[in-house]
Amino acid sequence: MSLLRLEDITKRYPGVTALDAVGLELAAGSVHGLIGENGAGKSTLLRILAGAERPDAGQVLLDGVPVTLVAPRQALDRGITVIYQELTLVPELGADANVFLGMEPARGLALDRRAMRERARETLASLGLPLADPGIPVKRLSIAQQQLVELARALVRQARVIALDEPTATLTQTEVTHLFGQIARLRDRGAGIIFVSHRLDEVRQIADEITVLRDGAAVWHGPARDVDDAGLIRLMVGRDVEYLRQPPAGPAAATPRLEVIGLTREPGFRDVSFTVRPGEIVALAGLVGAGRTEVARCLAGADRWTAGRVRLAGRDYRPRGPRDGIRRGLVYLPEDRKRDGLILGFTVGANTTLPVLRRFTRLGVVRAPAERHAAEEVVERIQLRPPDLDRVTRTLSGGNQQKVVLAKWLLADAEVLIVDEPTRGVDVGTKIELHRQIRALANHGKAVLVISSEMPEVLALADRIVVMREGRVAGELPAGEATAERIMALAVAA
Amino acid sequence: MRAWIGRYGVGLALLLLTAIAAATVPGFFTRENLTTVLLHVSINAILALGMTFVIVAAGIDLSVGSVLGLAGVLAAATLTSGPLLQAVGVGGAVAAALVVGLGTGVGVGAVNGAVTAWFGVAPFMVTLAAMTIARGAARLFTGGVPIGFPATGDPQFAAKVAALDALHELGGGRLPVPGLPRGFPVPALVMLLLAVLAAFVLTRTRFGRYVYAVGGNEEAARLAGVPIRAVKLAVYAIAGACAGLAGILLVGQLRSGGPDAGLLYELNAIAAAVIGGASLFGGIGTAWGALVGALMIGVLNNALDLLGVQSFWQEIVKGGIILLAVLFDVWTKRGAQRA
Repeated sequence: MSLLRLEDITKRYPGVTALDAVGLELAAGSVHGLIGENGAGKSTLLRILAGAERPDAGQVLLDGVPVTLVAPRQALDRGITVIYQELTLVPELGADANVFLGMEPARGLALDRRAMRERARETLASLGLPLADPGIPVKRLSIAQQQLVELARALVRQARVIALDEPTATLTQTEVTHLFGQIARLRDRGAGIIFVSHRLDEVRQIADEITVLRDGAAVWHGPARDVDDAGLIRLMVGRDVEYLRQPPAGPAAATPRLEVIGLTREPGFRDVSFTVRPGEIVALAGLVGAGRTEVARCLAGADRWTAGRVRLAGRDYRPRGPRDGIRRGLVYLPEDRKRDGLILGFTVGANTTLPVLRRFTRLGVVRAPAERHAAEEVVERIQLRPPDLDRVTRTLSGGNQQKVVLAKWLLADAEVLIVDEPTRGVDVGTKIELHRQIRALANHGKAVLVISSEMPEVLALADRIVVMREGRVAGELPAGEATAERIMALAVAA
Repeated sequence: MRAWIGRYGVGLALLLLTAIAAATVPGFFTRENLTTVLLHVSINAILALGMTFVIVAAGIDLSVGSVLGLAGVLAAATLTSGPLLQAVGVGGAVAAALVVGLGTGVGVGAVNGAVTAWFGVAPFMVTLAAMTIARGAARLFTGGVPIGFPATGDPQFAAKVAALDALHELGGGRLPVPGLPRGFPVPALVMLLLAVLAAFVLTRTRFGRYVYAVGGNEEAARLAGVPIRAVKLAVYAIAGACAGLAGILLVGQLRSGGPDAGLLYELNAIAAAVIGGASLFGGIGTAWGALVGALMIGVLNNALDLLGVQSFWQEIVKGGIILLAVLFDVWTKRGAQRA
């Protein structure tokens, strides 16, 4: 008898069937991979499992017994923990307090803080996160570490079913390896793990069985060893897609457009130097926390550097704010599009024109037809589907939101684009499309700097790869010589 | 459906309330009484329009009531200053009073905005301090008693009364309108013109777009090159300007400037903006909403007045309406997110 069994789970929203009689079986001591494009229904399924959403039909059986999960509390009490991609920690609270959130050990009326600290320390250490001070606010931990805090939370709750939604989306290769080690340990202790990811190689590596969702239906289910990436992609999208390298149309110009010379901002990064030429895509590779985003933010004018200098199109460049960057033709597409990239309450149109609103303004008044015309053009160019300018950005899928971010900066017509994790949490089809867009930019003579933690993406996109390690440049590789192994060697070598 | 109700609900609620009042309250649905309602809400609506800019930019301004008071007493003092009247006459004094009143509002507002924007202090605290300081300054300046109306035996008694009468044309005047025997009150006209202006600025100008952007997601707006600090400074200056204007109108209406004028008006202004759909989290709110919110409060007060309901009960009812408006807001938003 399986640990968890989902039978004919159906969920309808107005106008759309998110899940259509989906079944899934999870054995104790196994990992079940769940894959599908954005909007295939993975998140909805997890939300039902977490008790955050009620199915319209079907049932959930735990140990063969039907259970009702109508509140998150009920799922937790039955040993089901869902760890969402957007982590649900309280940033200001300590790691220990987060681990025990909602089930604090108490002596009488008072919290037993010492027990909390010690048990949190032990649990986190067992997950390979030894913290000198378990009371450290989790906002000071890296994303990978925060994830382990979430996992520790599942452990102290003695969760038997643990579902992880895109846990590796923000992790570097070593962090992924570490996480997989922990997942394997939990599995060996008899837990059932549901593993949701866009990274097919990872799913095949960790999962015993795989279920593929497409448009709310489970279209395939079977042992992981029976399929390869190409087969899975075919199942997911219902067509053949290749994760092709996007080659440059021609050689890049000789003179660099962006020259970074000895750039330093303690404690984030030190003595970072590289160049980007027009028509070239340079990838900034490295582990999360290597200082790549920090460099990008400084270049964008969002933060200040303390030493070194930058030359932009041959002239000195020292932005006092993002406005200066935009004015000089350098734009930054941030890593976290919801937090930094978009105004979710705005329409698609208003988001795309925000940085260049001045262009459509006469005497302070926005000329709506001109604005609309420009937005229509750029939305067409990035092939947003549907190309609805009046739709509120919040209601778009992650991939479409990322396209809107791209559209916005395309419209800004910048000469240098810094793209931070452009395809994070985006399905394969959209990912390939975004790659094409980025390559098209370079082919139009833009200088593009891509930050990515996903090795295949770096290899597919970059003409040159600058690898960072612990705040410094560890080395540089031309695309011809780069392999995943060589990049990784630079990123982690002692 | 929910989204549609969310957009037009407040307007419908106002129509509904008006219809109910018209059907059940004797003397409510007359031209004369409806004009009175407009006059009575004008001060609050003007404050609420300014407040809407601040709230949409994810701020709050607790100081507008006190700024109204301070601007009023300074304007009244300017208007009835003997030397000034002698030098520039009644017309000049009225102009100077307008400049002083509006300048006070813009000045205090700009300081509020600057401290909020450059030092990153929570606007609640900054404007709470400004509220206390402005009220204290108004009381200090006047010695705690209303100023403006000259004492009998004042050597410039006639000139000062003339100046007050001139400003009264603005604050208490009526424009002849056919069908309205007593005419249309000037402050109500000012309110309507200001609402049109505010709606235009918020929806049609680049600055307006920036206000929504700052309130919707400040960091994203900053990275998109929106001048965050300038926008913040401007919205508080606008709220201050509205408070200054309201102070001047009140002085004109009453022919004197009282140090306690506008006490707690900031709360009514916030209430009107929120009833009109503005979100205290920022990014959401309209000028029309603020106007409609102020009218809701006004119609309610007026109808309850006519029914002879105690003013204490009116407060309780107003509080209930605010709560309903906020619950309604949550309900429509939840629907919008599901869709």
